[in-house]
Amino acid sequence: MSDLWARVEPLLAGVERPARYIDSEFGAVHRPKEPYRVALLYPDTYELGMANQAVAILYDLLNAADGVSAERVYVPWKDMATAMRAAEVPLFTLESVSPVASCDLFGITMPYELTCTNICEALDLAGIPMRAVDRRNDDPIVIGGGPCAFNPEPVADFFDAILVGEGEDAILEIVEAHREVKSRGEDRSAVLRRLAAVPGVYVPSLYTPADASGPARPLEGSGAPAIVTKRVVDDLGRFRSPSCPVVPFMDVVHDRANIEILRGCTRGCRFCQAGMIYRPVRERTSDAVVRDALLQLRCTGQEELSLTSLSTTDHSQIEDIVRRLSAALRGRAVTIGLPSLRVDAFGVSMARLVSEGSRGGLTFAPEAGTQRLRDVVNKNVDEQDLIDTVRVAFGEGWRRLKLYFMIGLPTETDDDVRGIGEIVSRVLATAREVVPPAQRGAIKIAVSVSTFVPKAHTPFQWEGQLTLEQVRDRQRVLRETMPRKGVDLHWHDSEVSFLEGALARGGRDLSRVIERVWRAGGGFDAWTEVFSLSRWTAAFEAEGLDPVTLASAPRSTDGHLPWDHISSGVAKPYLIRERDRAYAGVVTPDCSFDGCTACGVCPELGVDIVLAGEARG
Amino acid sequence: MADPSFRLRVVYGKTGRLRFLSHLEVARACERAVRRAGLEYAVTQGFNQRMKMAFGPALPVGTAGLAEIYDVWLKRFVAPDAVLSALRDTTPDRLTPVSALYVGEREASVAVALTLADYEVVVGHPGRGPVRMAEALEDVISSEVLEIEHKGARKVYDLAVCLPEGARMSEDDGRSIVRLTVRMGAQGSLRPDALVREALRRAGLSDEPVSVTRLGLRPEEARA
Repeated sequence: MSDLWARVEPLLAGVERPARYIDSEFGAVHRPKEPYRVALLYPDTYELGMANQAVAILYDLLNAADGVSAERVYVPWKDMATAMRAAEVPLFTLESVSPVASCDLFGITMPYELTCTNICEALDLAGIPMRAVDRRNDDPIVIGGGPCAFNPEPVADFFDAILVGEGEDAILEIVEAHREVKSRGEDRSAVLRRLAAVPGVYVPSLYTPADASGPARPLEGSGAPAIVTKRVVDDLGRFRSPSCPVVPFMDVVHDRANIEILRGCTRGCRFCQAGMIYRPVRERTSDAVVRDALLQLRCTGQEELSLTSLSTTDHSQIEDIVRRLSAALRGRAVTIGLPSLRVDAFGVSMARLVSEGSRGGLTFAPEAGTQRLRDVVNKNVDEQDLIDTVRVAFGEGWRRLKLYFMIGLPTETDDDVRGIGEIVSRVLATAREVVPPAQRGAIKIAVSVSTFVPKAHTPFQWEGQLTLEQVRDRQRVLRETMPRKGVDLHWHDSEVSFLEGALARGGRDLSRVIERVWRAGGGFDAWTEVFSLSRWTAAFEAEGLDPVTLASAPRSTDGHLPWDHISSGVAKPYLIRERDRAYAGVVTPDCSFDGCTACGVCPELGVDIVLAGEARG
Repeated sequence: MADPSFRLRVVYGKTGRLRFLSHLEVARACERAVRRAGLEYAVTQGFNQRMKMAFGPALPVGTAGLAEIYDVWLKRFVAPDAVLSALRDTTPDRLTPVSALYVGEREASVAVALTLADYEVVVGHPGRGPVRMAEALEDVISSEVLEIEHKGARKVYDLAVCLPEGARMSEDDGRSIVRLTVRMGAQGSLRPDALVREALRRAGLSDEPVSVTRLGLRPEEARA
């Protein structure tokens, strides 16, 4: 291991935002002499990666383990990457400024499909062979994880192993397995076979990918499991939230203290991958949340606290948590954020509790413009609930509201798209009714409209995605029917959504396309200012693959999907049943409120719903 | 009657790799260090309540400082030594506080009171021999006006106003060291490294400043 700082420092005067590369933040852990060293990469810039709570949790756990150190790595922005290549400086870890290639394990989180070219960039800058099959015994073991692990095939060739599911228990088992085989002096293939025996770990090189004849299957004699089932933590109470995570100097995304108050959401929105892959619901107790939140605020000095989860106001003790934290933080200029509000009076009352008299903005997600379509996607939001909620919120002094919608949902027609404009009109009219005339100019409704992208392991995984032309048509209908005054309308880049769709449900052969795009100058594809669809279409064409078919052709529920060998615990028959109910416009209740809906997760994974209070209400 | 508050002046350094922080990044880091120290700080009134703090003049990204200043208003009196000790524990290394003392509520702000800044610019590398730029530096300074283009904007500095004390040159282990005093004003302050770059350009040298350090801030009447 060598400290590269003397070679990195001269590069910093010539690059944007050098604070990305200098480490030294409060809370950064320096254990360079531990015998087993892990580099943890978030495949984007520092300011995006520092927001990732999964990396923070793994960093905390690994650095608490005997003989193990973990360091952070982010992808250098293009100016820095160019400077590093010119000066022959390899990708380095922040804490010890040592080459990533000198670490034992290179962990890469896979948060979003469009970060895939950055995985190529990181491996290349690190000097690690891009494809697992080309790696030698002294190269680090490259392990992926995160949401994209649920269809790992498009990037599978870049990884030695991929962890499916939650990492708290599994990461230390992986490290132990690797250390054990290394200590015996065995070669890389022995390491891979041993890793494949860790529950939840998928070793792509030990499988034949899915094809027309069947799903992906383990090579004969490899010992790898036919189905890799996700890891899940039975009780979050076994782990405390990181008490002193790294405090960035830079203005990063979500720069605040974060306490994950619950994991999993069983509202059952049929488009939502997170709602399917993070089941079941597991809440932390009010005592644990308050304790960990105050500890983290004290240790980090952060001025904002976010109570994170997929559905924070569903926590059975949320009112108690918010009341206790508000009382403890009064007069300290610390704000509390609730990232997702229920569309009802309770949601507004929670927002009121955390706002201490000031009225920022409120955010709700009706997702679709008509009740018919909301029933199709199982978004249990009633238009009258939304209008009543808006009446309460604007009556109490809120003036800004953000609403999230999607276009392109299954069965959607132009009438549903017009419904978005109509519902926003009614929201505006309600707000104007209750706001005094002199203040009506302050009413602002931000409407954010994304394009539905079907994702693996959801009831809509067999659906076709709208083509680019269809998206543009629907966006036109949206623009024409959206009220102008008082409304800021934003929609997602249709080309980015199209590519996301092609990558989200692709197979092993996509790795050739991804590598080709990276070689043609791709990278940071999640950044609209550098994204180039033409670079992608050229690469698809060169590899003989059609992105339109991948994204937009409906798939048969009888066929094989590239991710059929990966199990989220949710049974396929449940997904099919939910799809049928969607087409019938029948909603399915939330099992954490109303009893089991037989998705299969609890019996399959040997876990259960964990509520902190008596019941959700 | 307003709540009592105690205005504490903290002097700190911005050194080593942390010289690459921007002014806003430094300010945020200092504010969080105060929170971590468990001090009872006053907050501003208004929609977005903030810790009541005031910072001295900004240092550019890449420029180090040995005696930078911020004021923070505390709700309770805490002995300065105890505050300094607590802040040293909670501030990242290389932004370390070096002193803390209370100043009067009516005392002028740092930006108003301390308008002269002493800088040291180092050119060249140890053992390579001095960079012969004294004449060129004098030439630049005597030209009275310096035009600098920075991020697409053109700025013109009146050097008689900006440089009240001229430049002092010395050598150390083969490196050339330029010491300058810059007067800061409402129009912004001249970057000493820009002046040295211009001198190097006129001398036909390809060297670049290797480090720029603000040694301290002082009022107009004091002398270095």
